[in-house]
Amino acid sequence: MQKSDLLEKLQQIVGKEMVTTSAAELYCYSCDASQVRGMPDIVVRPVSTEQVSRIVRLAYDNGIPVTPRGAGTGLAGGSVPIEGGIVVDMSSMNRLLEMDLDNLQVVVEPGIVQEKLNEALEPYGFFFPPDPGSSAMCTLGGLIANNGSGMRSVKYGTTRNYVLGLEVVLADGTVINTGSKTTKSVAGYSLTDLFVGSEGTLGVITGAVLKVRALPKERSVLLASFENPELAGKAVVKVLSSGMIPSACEILDRNIIEAINTYDPNIGLPRAGAILLFEVDGTENTVREGIEMIKEACSSLASSIRAASDKKERDEIWAARRLVGAAVSRLDPLRTRVYVGEDIGVPIKELPGMLHKVSEISKEFSMPIMTYGHIGDGNLHTGMCIDVLDEKEWDKLNMAADKIHRTAIEVGGTVTAEHGVGSARAEYMGLELGKGLDVMILIKKALDPKGILNPGKMGV
Amino acid sequence: MDNSDMRSILKCVRCGTCRSICPVFDVVGWESSSSRGRMLVAHGVSQGMDVDQGVFDSLNTCTTCGLCEQMCPSGASPVKVIENVRHQLVLQGKMTEAQRSLRSEAIEKGNPLGEIKDRMAWLGDSGRDLAKKADYVFFAGCLGSYRYPELTKRTFEILKSFGVTVLEEEVCCGSPLLRTGSDPSELISNNLQQIKNTGAHTIITGCAGCYTALKNDYPGNLDVVHVTEFLADRLAELGLKKLDLKVTYHDPCHLGRCNGVFDAPRQIIMSVCDLEEMRNNRERSKCCGAGGGVLKGYPELSLDISKKRLEEIPKDVDYLVTACPLCRTNLKRGDPGIEVLDIIDLLEMAMK
Ligand SMILES: Cc1cc2nc3c(=O)[nH]c(=O)nc-3n(C[C@H](O)[C@H](O)[C@H](O)COP(=O)(O)OP(=O)(O)OC[C@H]3O[C@@H](n4cnc5c(N)ncnc54)[C@H](O)[C@@H]3O)c2cc1C
Ligand code: SF4
Ligand code: SF4
Repeated sequence: MQKSDLLEKLQQIVGKEMVTTSAAELYCYSCDASQVRGMPDIVVRPVSTEQVSRIVRLAYDNGIPVTPRGAGTGLAGGSVPIEGGIVVDMSSMNRLLEMDLDNLQVVVEPGIVQEKLNEALEPYGFFFPPDPGSSAMCTLGGLIANNGSGMRSVKYGTTRNYVLGLEVVLADGTVINTGSKTTKSVAGYSLTDLFVGSEGTLGVITGAVLKVRALPKERSVLLASFENPELAGKAVVKVLSSGMIPSACEILDRNIIEAINTYDPNIGLPRAGAILLFEVDGTENTVREGIEMIKEACSSLASSIRAASDKKERDEIWAARRLVGAAVSRLDPLRTRVYVGEDIGVPIKELPGMLHKVSEISKEFSMPIMTYGHIGDGNLHTGMCIDVLDEKEWDKLNMAADKIHRTAIEVGGTVTAEHGVGSARAEYMGLELGKGLDVMILIKKALDPKGILNPGKMGV
Repeated sequence: MDNSDMRSILKCVRCGTCRSICPVFDVVGWESSSSRGRMLVAHGVSQGMDVDQGVFDSLNTCTTCGLCEQMCPSGASPVKVIENVRHQLVLQGKMTEAQRSLRSEAIEKGNPLGEIKDRMAWLGDSGRDLAKKADYVFFAGCLGSYRYPELTKRTFEILKSFGVTVLEEEVCCGSPLLRTGSDPSELISNNLQQIKNTGAHTIITGCAGCYTALKNDYPGNLDVVHVTEFLADRLAELGLKKLDLKVTYHDPCHLGRCNGVFDAPRQIIMSVCDLEEMRNNRERSKCCGAGGGVLKGYPELSLDISKKRLEEIPKDVDYLVTACPLCRTNLKRGDPGIEVLDIIDLLEMAMK
């Protein structure tokens, strides 16, 4: 199909204003927050399920690739159209359709930004727990498609745990509804679970029924400093095996501490080899008890332990922690954070060993690696900043990232705990999943026989 | 594009923080209208992308409000990048009709409004026995001189009692050209010479655009204060009475976020009546939609941004107060349902 015909057909579906082939616009849709690049032929911004269905049907009939996109904050190239075609920007489908709080659920369109949902829920005393660092900018659709999670997943789990049902447009334009409004249902295969985390390769999510929770009455934050990250890793194992589940458990290494202090000098984190940030939430009693248990578990390993003084300090610490992945770029004017090899996960027991291996990899490639992340669920973000104008640094970065990925798989871990596979990590799928990848490919073929949905992603 | 511009673009990690707060993106919804998009377009242009309407619509719809820069975690400077690219393109003769007209009017007529009337007419009888030399000089600005002459006269009446003078033949401060990529050096040297002639050590202005241009773009690190800063230090001498009013205050981006003047206007307001803040205020304040050449080049977009800002007015306030004639003009256009006052109007109510 000629591009001009495609444009005209899409204009008929969404109206002239909501589709573009402008070169400047296409350039803006050729990347996300990863290093993956791919130029779309056309970008369209539907506002209804019906429009999405007609767009996908048109693409299906003509064998044109379709790449769904939320806010483009992904770190794996998931929303980058590496084979061209149509990018479907879902961020205009951003209505909160229903707040059914007696049933602890909401019905949403996928384009709502995570934080906006929580702003709407807060006055009623509820919240949607999955809280990625990008919660102020990423969409719920992107979060569901990536099964994202965040600092509180150690207690509250990942996005998957909060999706009761989905409305999905399949490759041929058919609209299906998965799941139900009940908290429990075993009717049929869990198609909801299949689409959560499918990164736009199996269908376009146009609506979701999400579970929400009552906001905890109390929260308290504890900062424990350690001489080195390995000791911090040991402390995490000790805390978690004591039976205490904090609502967040984050590690910050020396450089990350400096980055946070640079980003917001008010915070003034203590200088240490590593800091663990624990948050405990619940009732007044459970919080007090939890804090005591953590102090006790850390006491023989930490060099100092203190509580955040008030809500203001707590909020400031979390706000800075959320954005520190990008804020490390501030440490050196010539260097920029590059998100590559940044999202490994390992079994909790392997944490101290993995932290040690990361520092060895850093030495081997003379590449400073900053470590932070949701250590409570074994998820480590390994941050590297390079002079992006220097080819040699790119080579070193890619070699170090490759080694980090392979080491994580060797110790029984994963190359991506929350950011997704996209095309950035597709090459590791065979190694990590083995024959499981063959099953994924079968599923992909069954649901998307023409391979039009987000081609080139997830190794399928 | 020089190396430092390129480095500045490359500081952007495309995290999207700015996308969720850019007031223009909020209205337009296309990626190229967010600051992340503009950084990408700037990159594209540096790599030889054709400069077509799409490029202009991306780069030229930035109001230069600076919210993205304030919130950017990685320390990128989108506004600087955008202004620099606009400038590079203008140097190559690539600009829109709106940019061209701002430039030619400002340079030929001394104001971007195209006015040919006597600029200093607002002075009226206040111009009598004016000191040629003074420590302080009042810079009235183009909007002050032509669009709000009475307010400007009344403002100056107050200032004059503290020994302030004016320039003999003030011309546009150059802000509209600076923001839209043109070269304001003729205007700047003209004003500078006149400032020198008065012997003043400090310039007072009531306009946020003039304020930031004089302070940050003129050579020689001039001492510049906003009228509110000057008067906040002299409130006791004004004989103010308390008004039975509640108002809200819109922080002009180029006064507040870009230059940190948050307290003086609030101090004035709170000394004469009650203040209730808008939802986003101080560093997080949202733009009125007029700056950066957007009101001139994209009036409808500018209006939509103004309307969004007006949604943040608290219930039950009597007036919306601001401290910049450009913000005032655009907020009025948005039709807030209450009167939009300059802070001097409010002050004068309490002086009577
Ligand atoms: C500073 C920063 C911090 C981050 N922190 C975290 C973190 O703590 N935890 C975490 O999990 N992630 C994190 N991320 C990664 C990213 O924000 C998440 O992956 C997020 O969920 C992506 O959402 P998005 O709306 O930007 O989606 P996009 O990036 O636009 O898309 C992501 C994927 O979802 C697909 N998709 C999007 N919308 C739909 C839809 N409606 N239907 C079908 N498929 C769709 C796309 O095709 C793509 O494969 C971070 C990113 C940044 C920049
Ligand atoms: S906030 Fe800064 S780093 Fe993030 S996309 Fe915007 S300019 Fe780039
Ligand atoms: S300065 Fe304001 S209008 Fe311009 S890109 Fe930044 S946030 Fe948007």
